Amino acid sequence: MCLDKLSPEECKELDPPGSQSSNVREIFWDPVSRVAGDLAFYVKVDLNARKVIEARSVAALFRGYEVILRGRDPRDAAMISSRACGVCGGVHSVTSVMAQEMAYGVTPPPLAVVMRNLAGAAEMMYDHPLHLFLLAGPDYSAAIVSKTNPTLYETAKKTPAEHRDIHGFSTIGDLMEALNPLSGKLYLEAIQITRIAREMFSLMLGRYPHPSTLVPGGVSTTLRPDLFTDYLVRLTKIYDWAKTVALIWEDLVNFFYKEVPEYENVGKASKINIICGGIYDDPELAESGDLYKYDKAKEWGERRMVTPGVIKDGQLETTSLIDANVGLEEFVTHSYYEEWEKQPKILEKDPLGNPLSVDHPWNKITIPKPGPLNWREKYTWDTAPRWNKLVVETGGGPLARHWLTAIANKIPSNPFIKAGGGRLKITVPKGATLPEMELEWKVPKVINALERNRARAYHIPYVIGVAMNFLLKAFEYLRAGKTKVWNKFEIPREGIGVGFYEAGRGWLSHHLIIKDYKIYNYQIITPSTINASPRDPLDQPGPYEEAALNTPIVEKFTTPEQFTGIDILRSIRSFDPCMPCTVHMFTGGRVITRDVTTCACSI
Amino acid sequence: MGEKKIEKIYVLWMSTGLGCDGCSISVTGATNPSIEDVLAGRLPGVPPVVLVHPVLAVEAGEDLIEYYRKAERGELDPFVLVLEGSVPDESIAEKQQGWWAAFGFDKQTYKPITTVEWLKRLAPKAAAVIAIGTCAAWGGIPAARNNPTNAMGLMDLLGKDFKSKLGLPIINVPGCPPQGDNFMKTVALLILAVLGLSPPPELDELGRPVFAYGETNRQGCPRAGFAEEGTYAQEFGAKECLLSLGCWGPVVKCNVNRVGWINGVGGVTNMGGPCIGCTMPGFPDAFSPFYTRQSEHMLSLRFGFLPGSIKKSARLNTMKTKTDKSPRWK
Ligand code: SF4
Repeated sequence: MCLDKLSPEECKELDPPGSQSSNVREIFWDPVSRVAGDLAFYVKVDLNARKVIEARSVAALFRGYEVILRGRDPRDAAMISSRACGVCGGVHSVTSVMAQEMAYGVTPPPLAVVMRNLAGAAEMMYDHPLHLFLLAGPDYSAAIVSKTNPTLYETAKKTPAEHRDIHGFSTIGDLMEALNPLSGKLYLEAIQITRIAREMFSLMLGRYPHPSTLVPGGVSTTLRPDLFTDYLVRLTKIYDWAKTVALIWEDLVNFFYKEVPEYENVGKASKINIICGGIYDDPELAESGDLYKYDKAKEWGERRMVTPGVIKDGQLETTSLIDANVGLEEFVTHSYYEEWEKQPKILEKDPLGNPLSVDHPWNKITIPKPGPLNWREKYTWDTAPRWNKLVVETGGGPLARHWLTAIANKIPSNPFIKAGGGRLKITVPKGATLPEMELEWKVPKVINALERNRARAYHIPYVIGVAMNFLLKAFEYLRAGKTKVWNKFEIPREGIGVGFYEAGRGWLSHHLIIKDYKIYNYQIITPSTINASPRDPLDQPGPYEEAALNTPIVEKFTTPEQFTGIDILRSIRSFDPCMPCTVHMFTGGRVITRDVTTCACSI
Repeated sequence: MGEKKIEKIYVLWMSTGLGCDGCSISVTGATNPSIEDVLAGRLPGVPPVVLVHPVLAVEAGEDLIEYYRKAERGELDPFVLVLEGSVPDESIAEKQQGWWAAFGFDKQTYKPITTVEWLKRLAPKAAAVIAIGTCAAWGGIPAARNNPTNAMGLMDLLGKDFKSKLGLPIINVPGCPPQGDNFMKTVALLILAVLGLSPPPELDELGRPVFAYGETNRQGCPRAGFAEEGTYAQEFGAKECLLSLGCWGPVVKCNVNRVGWINGVGGVTNMGGPCIGCTMPGFPDAFSPFYTRQSEHMLSLRFGFLPGSIKKSARLNTMKTKTDKSPRWK
């Protein structure tokens, strides 16, 4: 597809006439609409060879948060940066206050850390159901599968579901029926669960999205004795649901693998390169004052209930947040921004003396430069974050969190989650109808669409374990009279900070530099900045692009017109690009269609 | 609309303003009524409501865009148009042949159709036009100081005198995001009005539904009793009045303290958060830096014994000149 500014000759060269044969289809979902940032996605598919031959990810909206933050009072950062994404409606402010706390040199009191952890766990309990049943779910529903893979659907109707005793759906076909958008039981239930989870979040941090009681130095929530019991009451309502969700996806995923082995390659990452920010801090470290000090970031990062770090080519590369930070770079070769190399470099070294690239977020300067769409030049408002020049992905969030945690063997001991040897064992308490259960998640062989979704389903029980653990902590602090929720701070004339966290869909960092008591630079890297990224200076495609390129066409169609591209959509959606959308791709000529979604890929 | 029988009402949502989609999320949390209630036709006497929302639509892709194209051709009648996110100034991006925000492509030229273009095409045909959230209503965060897009509210684009087909001004449901029920109630009232069943919701001079924005945050705040006794919070987490920590409640129009955030749970000052004025045209710049004592409050903080009537007139004046006024409006 030749877009703008290319001469007819160039067009021919890029798009040789042969490629326009009836069996090469171009599809451009545009703009990949909705939740916080619009994503458009372009693919070229050779229907004979059953291969995706080109893929481009386009962030189609720009708002300018990083520019707006420049020159402001640093205390405004959390409230303003929160508005970067209303779907990840709590994590931005938390990450921002952590970056500020590092810059101000203040540590929140232990109970405030606990309350942020409880809010963080609740956010996942809202976010994952939303994705599993309103966004990704429909891709596996009867309504879609019966159209795109009719024989598979017939088989599903006859295949008993392994865990039917627990989740109550006798066959895979019944499960698929319940996933139907707007009418299916699972779809409707999920909306309710997200509301319960948002109430839990609001008990801790005021409201969701854009929390009202989160401040640097702690929280401003007024402690009422019933705050934690109100939270617990709501949590108990989710116990049984969480068990069934894990097993529902277990059954679905195994069914797909068994019936269509090529599913292993749908949405596959070429290499197992993962980055994770870690989440849920150890409140005990707040007492020592180490929390959020940059030079102690390795220590407090490794005490998180989800281990941060990087996996390179399947091997654990580091669990140190300092290494994770120093290796970060953001490129704009294919993005609508100007290069900032000519500007004086802000920081040569991090506070520990590690040299920093000019493309490191602390040094990056956001200079928007809108322009036409051109595949060879600029085609997106997203940037290309890389780690030591490596394309890394966030595994759609849970897959990275589980993988790091399961192989690093570092999480503090607790009664609910055991990690190590590539496994996670999660104990979910007895609920209204189901007994206490232990669920087990294992590191898979590959990263692909199904595994991203499976991990997400297991992450709901995981965060229930996290919430239980910190509720017990909260009661312990209350008993001991440790009820302080805020510590005073001063804004320094100069300061450097970075907050590391996890949004539902993965890595999140905010980088802050203060000069003359004002924000001198503010940079945000969201999971979708990483996952939706375009090609980089080494011409390596971003994770969505790569996942689409690796996707085999296993869909059944007899004429090209029937081809929907469902598996490419399953791939992109498995990264959790925020909200529901349904599958509809149009083929035939240059069809432009609007579909899918992403989250805050352009800040 | 009187005689023609209305079989379906369409709600066309545009989420491609400059925003974060937090408003959509807030609306999916509403319980009174919930979005399922309205879509399933659980309001007595109301025909099916078809919500065309990129987040919840069953149709997607070209099927979804087709609704907007149909509305443009006058084939969807009646429809309510909802904008989420602020309106960028496309003339800036156009100079470099780019765009800030777009929605769908022109089938002939493959050029993106900008959000601004869609709004100009659709607004005159809509029975009612709603701006959801502070972004769409007044410009909000994307319109804050330093912004590169020269973002604005819908009223700034369509003009203060704009009237929809029903003769209504732009209905503004501000808040960043608005409390979900405030929006859903407004829509429910509007639908009843489109059907000729109820009068349209009462609006104030800036098009805000009075039931939600007729009172100040302070008027519904459970801490107001502390203020009356002259006791103010000395640090975050304390239970007293938050004026001392930078709360703007007395000059902010909002009902969240009364109704709670979701299903009656949560809120702002009721939970301990100083109000930062997120429903107001002046947000964020008139309220920033947040969490600092504002000179406007010195009167209350220093002279707790002042008669209420004096405080009231000082507050009305602050709203008129600062907080209830967008910096765009000279
Ligand atoms: S008004 Fe606030 S919540 Fe709504 S889109 Fe704008 S920034 Fe997001």
